[in-house]
Amino acid sequence: MNRLVTVAEMTLRELLRRRGVLLLLLLMPLTFYLIRRDAYLGQSVRSLLLGVGWAVSTAALFATTAARELEPRLRFAGYRPHHLYLGRMLGLWAVGLVISVPFFLLPLVDGADLRYGGLAAAMLCSVGVAAPFGMLIGTLLPRELEGTLLLLTVVTVQMLIDPAGSGAKLTPFWSSREIATWSVDHTDEGYLTRGVLHGFAVTALLVLSVAAVASVRLRRRRHLRHLPVG
Amino acid sequence: MNDDWLRTFAAELHHRRVAVDAARHVVAEAATHLRDSGGDPWVVFGPPQQYAGAIVESIGTAPGPRPGPVRLHARGITKRYGRKTVLRDATLTVRAGQIAAVVGANGCGKSTFLRICAGLISPDAGEVTVSGRLGYCPQSGGTADFLLADEHFVLVGAGQGVARGPARRAGRAAARQLGWEAGGNVQARHLSGGTRQKLNLTMSTLSEPDVLLLDEPYQGFDQGTYVNFWDQLSRLRDEGAAIVVVTHLLNQLDRVDTVLDLTPAQPSGRIAPGVRGGRP
Repeated sequence: MNRLVTVAEMTLRELLRRRGVLLLLLLMPLTFYLIRRDAYLGQSVRSLLLGVGWAVSTAALFATTAARELEPRLRFAGYRPHHLYLGRMLGLWAVGLVISVPFFLLPLVDGADLRYGGLAAAMLCSVGVAAPFGMLIGTLLPRELEGTLLLLTVVTVQMLIDPAGSGAKLTPFWSSREIATWSVDHTDEGYLTRGVLHGFAVTALLVLSVAAVASVRLRRRRHLRHLPVG
Repeated sequence: MNDDWLRTFAAELHHRRVAVDAARHVVAEAATHLRDSGGDPWVVFGPPQQYAGAIVESIGTAPGPRPGPVRLHARGITKRYGRKTVLRDATLTVRAGQIAAVVGANGCGKSTFLRICAGLISPDAGEVTVSGRLGYCPQSGGTADFLLADEHFVLVGAGQGVARGPARRAGRAAARQLGWEAGGNVQARHLSGGTRQKLNLTMSTLSEPDVLLLDEPYQGFDQGTYVNFWDQLSRLRDEGAAIVVVTHLLNQLDRVDTVLDLTPAQPSGRIAPGVRGGRP
């Protein structure tokens, strides 16, 4: 447990020290919200949620790429793969929650007529999905630029795809969009249920994928045999 | 000229297994005497090997653990990248209380060999057996840009269940052996290249490994730190660690017990079997 907490803490410390990057990442959700504010509140809130997802997944991508050289060394120091990826994920979820607070308060201050419980659930889904999603991309793509471009592509697809189409359900942040619709347009409970289920399923799938990839990358190689000290 | 004589003298004391601290003391005394008298060391003390022999007779040698049990045995290591074979049938055995150097020209597979020994990459053929805990220090990288040195020590310590305070203290003490006071409030990205390598090296020794793999860890070290580095290796060796150092600096080979030369022997580009040198 101490190992998990230590990795989570160090992830938090590292990210909070990247102030310039964090500020630039926070600009995106804010811009998304403000740019659509005059047209239609629903679109504005959905864009805000997508922006939060983008910010957290990009932070996760950076954290994962930065830890690439360090993690094999931590394996020698006694960490198991799950300490490393779960600890990092916990740290990223914590950062995501911190980032979410001002964006949760933004529509409130703006006087928007929303179901705020729904907005909170949508934020949680967005953060929940974004951390393992960014980590998965960071684990699969070794360079930040490639990962960022892939993230940008996903966010753009998510923004432009028809939400009613079946393909939209395959996009990672569809859950927060559904819950946001329930929250903004006061639609029936089906939107909330579908969104929450989708959020849980996608988060679980991404966490398992990160676990699988990290376990392979940090595995003990077959050619190396460890014996106890004789 | 004095420097050359003193360096040879120090290496000879080391080779004859005079305790590190005692050897340093004797060398410092000789240096002071030469400076004060202004004499030629070859006239004042004679050949360094002969004088080292006299010193050993006078103060004795440190009890060494050699020959210890085998800690690392890499056998028949072959690695190909595409059509290019970078390692062919390389073999190395290192016992507790020994330092092995892996030498060779650029691109001959020194780092690849070490990474295979560390289990970071797989060979196409061959196997490695390690007894005990493994430590690894890469040539560069391997630290977190935005963390302080103390936080690195805490992170490494937590892996072995060491509490924060003791982990910090152990890290600072190990850093001090390299002439670095590590307690400052400076993130790793703001450290100079040499200091960052000290952090790297300190992290790899912090877990008290039985087998320590070092990939040219002295990049950016100044002369004093470089000397401290080899002294620290000697100390770890005397405590029973098996150490493998990748190096291209051949002037320190008299401080090691075994040499694995990976330089291709044939001009045709074929790789000769790995072990071609060494001292028992």
